Order: sequence, then structure tokens, then C-alpha cells
Amino acid sequence: MKNRLRVLRAERDWSQADLADRLEVSRQSVNAIETGKFDPSLPLAFKLARLFGTNIEGIFTDES
Amino acid sequence: MSCLTKNPAQRRYFRRFFVTMLLYVLFLVTAVLVFVHHHPTGPLAWLLAILPALAIIGQIAAFGLYLAEEKDEFQVAIGVQSMLWAIGGTLSVTVVWGFLEGFVHLRHLDLILVYPIYCALSGIAFGLLQLRYK
Repeated sequence: MKNRLRVLRAERDWSQADLADRLEVSRQSVNAIETGKFDPSLPLAFKLARLFGTNIEGIFTDES
Repeated sequence: MSCLTKNPAQRRYFRRFFVTMLLYVLFLVTAVLVFVHHHPTGPLAWLLAILPALAIIGQIAAFGLYLAEEKDEFQVAIGVQSMLWAIGGTLSVTVVWGFLEGFVHLRHLDLILVYPIYCALSGIAFGLLQLRYK
């Protein structure tokens, strides 16, 4: 799934490690989500949306 | 080992892993010594024989507990994937070996080696998955 995580992080000047700390996951997890290799669960997607003050569609794009 | 990660679930897993490993060595040495020097029979022999296996079952349970306690869903996914690859690999190796034993009389594969084969394949799968998601 495509996403805007890298852009959203850059806007806040957060590293992957910063975002990982805020989400309470590993940096590797953030990298896997950001590069589209791993799709997060709904609870984690909602957590991301809350963190960036947007909705899930504001971060993730359905490719189909 | 527990100082290698900040993740509490992983730290608990490493701790349980090493405790079960120590128990395995202790139970195995005890069983070997008692069988060599005292030649036990009956229920005591059965109990001593399965003691090392109980430690290995504990190790399998420790991994199950880790998967249940891990809060990072991506780490759970990697753990489950490596376990599935290792189960598939172990079944493949042992079934091929079994047919080779039956048809071309290859050396007998002791069942006690199934778990080490699983552990080795699990380690390889975990390493490859780490590289994939680096």
C-alpha cells in the first residue's frame, strides 16, 4: 500500500526512530511500513492518523 | 543477552530461552548420568527419558508466549513468518529423508534431530527476513 509517511515525517523533521518511539514500535517496523513492505493493522493505522492529525486516507492510498 | 534489546517482550523471551536451555543441559546430563550409573527401569526411566524433552517443550512455549506478548505487530509478523518457513522446511527435509531411508536405505535420521533442524531453519529464515526488511 502506498503511503505519505516519509513526507509527513519530513514536515515534522522526525526521523524513523522518532516516529517509532512515538508509535512504541521498532524503527524496522516504521521502515517496513514506509517502504510499503508491510501493511499495518487498523489499530496501528488509526494510531498513525491520530499522531499526524489526519485520517487514514490522508496517509495511505489504496492502489487497487 | 537481554541487554541487546530495549523491547520488553524480546527481553523476557531471551531470558526464558536461556532458562529452558540451561534446564535442557541440566536434565540431559542428569538423565545420561543416572542411566549410565544406575540403569533405572519402569516409571523412573520414562520420567528421566522425557526430562530433556520437557525443557524443549518449554522453549517452544517461550516462543509462543513471546508472540502473545509482543506489542510490535511487525515483529510478530516476522516471528510467525520465520516459524512457518522453519516448519515447512523441517517437514520437507524429514519427509524427503524418510522416503530416502525407505527406498535407498539412507542412514536413519534420529527423531531427536528434528528440533535442532527446526531451530537451524528458523534461524536462517529469521536472518533472511531481517535482511529483507532491513
